[in-house]
Amino acid sequence: MKHKTLFFVILFAAIAAASGAYYALSGGGAGVTANVYVDGELVERFDLTAAVVPYEVTVTTDYGTNVVRVSHGAVEVASADCDEQVCVNQGAIHDSLLPIVCLPHHLVIEIEE
Amino acid sequence: MTTVKTRKLVFMALLTAISLVIWVIEAQIPAPVPVPGVKLGLASVVTLTAMALLGRREALAILLMRVFLASVFAGSFSAILFSLAGGALSWAVMAAVLGLFDEKQIWVVSVLGAVAHNAGQLLAAMAVTKTAALIAYAPALLCAAIITGAFTGAAAAALIPALRRLNDRRGGQ
Repeated sequence: MKHKTLFFVILFAAIAAASGAYYALSGGGAGVTANVYVDGELVERFDLTAAVVPYEVTVTTDYGTNVVRVSHGAVEVASADCDEQVCVNQGAIHDSLLPIVCLPHHLVIEIEE
Repeated sequence: MTTVKTRKLVFMALLTAISLVIWVIEAQIPAPVPVPGVKLGLASVVTLTAMALLGRREALAILLMRVFLASVFAGSFSAILFSLAGGALSWAVMAAVLGLFDEKQIWVVSVLGAVAHNAGQLLAAMAVTKTAALIAYAPALLCAAIITGAFTGAAAAALIPALRRLNDRRGGQ
């Protein structure tokens, strides 16, 4: 019986480690253009290389409001009026590895490679 | 005189209430990582325990009742949609594999259930935002699910025999 348990422990540990390593190894393409989608539709597009001074753009939809801050090579959600604040806590993204998501507002910000 | 049916109904109601309380309390804990959908999933302990002690359909009934009641306490329709998506897929996977593992490996069922739960929520999120790019979160959610699933599985593994002994002493249901 012990062998079975050990087998699964090792199997799951390996999968967990591999999925963690995936992020460490795959660096996304550096931030050039950031796209903002609401309900899958492109609503804003920012050129991150052209942003010398950080500026903010407010995206207001039927779902709510998100303030997007664009800086050189990075984009983030500075503030939002959603309950969860996951998008705000995520901080800035610099590459195409992970998008920023505000689920209550159906909003996704991703950087194009 | 309590019949077997009444005793079972009361037990199910009790488990529903317990899982609801667990869920509400856990909802107050802020997400540790900025990844949408990462949570401890402690209420799944009840789902798996119910499945092992009462049966698949009973566990589903408890799960659906809890999600329905949670919508009363936690408001947002969106959150309930995700809860339902994750919970339903989680139940389906656990119901399918429960028979394949003996009691000592019941934690594996929990891990698979947790992975299914996160997968369901990710798919729901992708459908809601109509953005396929969210799939980038899959590895993170997979990793988190394995960890939380193992934890809740261990809890269920300890709970199931204890509750079974308790029920047997009272004449079972």
